[in-house]
Amino acid sequence: MTVDDTRRDPGIPVAAGREERSPDPRFVPIPPEAEERSSDPRFVPIPPEAEERFSDSRFVTIPPEAEEALPPADTVTGKLGRAFFRRLPVWPLVEFLSKKKVPRHRHSFWYTIGSMALFFLVVQIVTGVLLMVYYSPSQPWSSVQRIVMEIPFGGLLRSIHHWSANLMLLALFVHLFSTFFMKAYRPPRELTWLTGLALLGTTMFLGFSGYLLPWDDLSFFATRVGISELEKMPLLGTWIAGLARGGPDVTVDTIGRFYPLHVVVLPLLLLAVLSVHLFFVQVQGVSEPDSFRALPPEQKRYHRFFSEYLVNEIPIWMALAALLVALSALFPRVLAPEADPAAAAPEGIKPEWYFMVPFQMLKLFPGSLELLGMALTGLIPVLFLVVPFVDRSVPADRRGRVATRVGVAFLVYLVAMTVWGMVS
Amino acid sequence: MNYPVWDVPFLGAGMVVAIIAIIHVLISHFAIGGGALLFVAELWSDRQPDGERIREWLHKYATFFLVYTTVFGAMTGVGIWFSIQLASPEGTSLLIHQFVFAWAIEWVLFLVELTLLYLYYYGWRKNSRRLQVALAGLYFVIAWGSLFVINGILTFMLTPGGWTIENRDMAAGFFNPGYLPSLLIRTLVMFLVAGLGGLLVAARLEEEGGLKERIVVFCSRWVLPAALLLPGLSYWYWKTLPSNTARLMAAGATGLGGGRLEVMTLFAVAAGVAGTLLVLGSLLYQVRPRALGVAGAMALFVVAQIGFLGGEFARELARKPYVIYDTLYSNSLWKHKAAEAGYRQQPYLSLTRWDPDVVPLTPQHGEWAFRLQCASCHTRSGYRGIIPRTESWTPLSGFKWLETMDQQGVPPPFVGTAEDRAAISSYIQSLHGKNVGAAEILAEAQADGRRRSDGGETREVMP
Repeated sequence: MTVDDTRRDPGIPVAAGREERSPDPRFVPIPPEAEERSSDPRFVPIPPEAEERFSDSRFVTIPPEAEEALPPADTVTGKLGRAFFRRLPVWPLVEFLSKKKVPRHRHSFWYTIGSMALFFLVVQIVTGVLLMVYYSPSQPWSSVQRIVMEIPFGGLLRSIHHWSANLMLLALFVHLFSTFFMKAYRPPRELTWLTGLALLGTTMFLGFSGYLLPWDDLSFFATRVGISELEKMPLLGTWIAGLARGGPDVTVDTIGRFYPLHVVVLPLLLLAVLSVHLFFVQVQGVSEPDSFRALPPEQKRYHRFFSEYLVNEIPIWMALAALLVALSALFPRVLAPEADPAAAAPEGIKPEWYFMVPFQMLKLFPGSLELLGMALTGLIPVLFLVVPFVDRSVPADRRGRVATRVGVAFLVYLVAMTVWGMVS
Repeated sequence: MNYPVWDVPFLGAGMVVAIIAIIHVLISHFAIGGGALLFVAELWSDRQPDGERIREWLHKYATFFLVYTTVFGAMTGVGIWFSIQLASPEGTSLLIHQFVFAWAIEWVLFLVELTLLYLYYYGWRKNSRRLQVALAGLYFVIAWGSLFVINGILTFMLTPGGWTIENRDMAAGFFNPGYLPSLLIRTLVMFLVAGLGGLLVAARLEEEGGLKERIVVFCSRWVLPAALLLPGLSYWYWKTLPSNTARLMAAGATGLGGGRLEVMTLFAVAAGVAGTLLVLGSLLYQVRPRALGVAGAMALFVVAQIGFLGGEFARELARKPYVIYDTLYSNSLWKHKAAEAGYRQQPYLSLTRWDPDVVPLTPQHGEWAFRLQCASCHTRSGYRGIIPRTESWTPLSGFKWLETMDQQGVPPPFVGTAEDRAAISSYIQSLHGKNVGAAEILAEAQADGRRRSDGGETREVMP
């Protein structure tokens, strides 16, 4: 048998031909350090008694550093930890996670906002699943009414879901701007930034799709207005609106589309993108602002993420949990009367605050100017998408300073338009 | 402000009192529990090899304690007096007159408390160790004495016990059924808050030789009495509540009245959730004391503030529609007067202390009647807004609802003539942007009444 023959058959060891370099790039040569793995001191030799118990030698390796990190072997937690790592050789993963560190500087607080959004997402999933127990898309309003009126603490759950959704979006917007002003989007973190924008967009769609589900006056007309605005978009507007509504107008069939979107498609998409986002953060590390980078190494101070930083995150999540209950008590989400598609829209129907900017822009650019209004609104996400490819310099150069000024202008514009839309 | 009626847009007068009071209550509990912590920490530091370093931390704690409790405590304390006298002059007057000696004692204790705190703090370097310990201990005893007094007045408002407007028995009102459980609950909560304050100050300590760890463990232990005893004490307190309140609170798990009446239950839940989280948070730092940071310690303080919000709101709402339970309604209507024959049928504005002198059935008539009779609980479109609550009202249904509103759940009985009701119904229609004159509503109501009596129908009670 030739060397080529062994390559075609992966079941046959290649020891004989290892010295030769393969011309096929799919067959990567084994790096020398992998060659030496068997002699790596981190992998403790298998004791004879373990050999007898475990036939598979991969499952008895605890590297010495794992031994050191675990509680003493004679304690319950120590025994459990050793038993765990004997069965699951995931210590490299633990090591990988333990490398994450968070810079300590006067802007460190802004790092917390991302984890706040994550906390609200967990709340959304938990309360959402509980609401699904009694929600029925074929009887949307009456099932929500049952949740609010008959199910113990159903109204509280619904209010928490509502407030958590709003606060999650608020946290995401704050996270967006805090990372923007700390210039965390610059290379090599462009993909982290882009996945972050995708997360914000997905969450906004989650908000939009969930808003219709109670099928009350408010949600029905706000959704109708929202989709009709979408319809005005050139080229694809009519098609997208028809697809979203399932017909020429918002009906219960629209819920048939929004419900699976809200509870399956968008959450799965969100979790997938979030995993990638967090993976990037883990691999690339937390971004450091220029002022921190400029410090000499001996002045740079860090928190270890696991578990020093994380332990201080938990009380913050606790405060958010308490805040959600308090907001739900102070301002419970009230179920409006059932939607009547034949009735005239109540006065002053507005979208939720996070869609207020396009809504207000379309009010400012009525009639033939609507396209201009849409184009100006569409410019905001486009500029956020391109910024990591324009402002790349570390430390910030002229472009970086311009980007910061544009960011400030955006922030003022978004806040002003949102407040204006809410009070007008 | 529109004196003599305090018309606060969006929030309402009651909410202004609540906001100030909730901040004040956290501070006042800290002001007492912190005294206990100062005393115990002084003794603890004497038994430690590095007692001097512990006292350095204690000095920082005392600085925070002094500034926070005296500056913010005084500001909010005075704020409560300003706001309650405007929100409920009748209620404030009753409390002052009924408990005049209690107030006098409370203010003397407060003065002594402040004096002791200044002597303790400013004598830090000069006083002997024994004197410092004695001052801290005495401060706690006097401060707790002020709780002993104010707790009687606070609990009286919800559970007056044997006190009635006729007997005016101060002892029965002061040592009322809710007095003891409330005193014990507040005492335990004080210790908890004192520990949280200690954590906040300790969070800034640099880790040196295990000092921070020991201080954090010391402070987080102050939560334990509350963790162990509060569930039982809360049940005891709940059992002392008026039966109607307890029934409403238990029923609030579901959405009575369209999801609006369960608010008292939700606030009680908020208090329970916050309390549980505080216990868990303190235990977290017992296990991982080195990890304590400023953000985490401040977050626990926020949880405590929300817990006070929940607890105090639930307590306040438990009295509704009274400001003094079973005696004085929130809109300054005395229950015994409302029960007098013919009293409720008099023209309403002639009974109020400040007659605005308006022409009957004009828009001003409706607005003034609303401000004086309804606005103590309801804003127009803000907190407990009347607009969302009357969306389904027609001019006639509103007119009829007002007459029997005390049978519809929380509101007190209506006082006034048919003209008053027509004027208020007209005013509420105007809030919805509909212009329906009060005279028109009155005429429609009279025609409706004639029609019903002709048809032999009994009077309808609106749903």
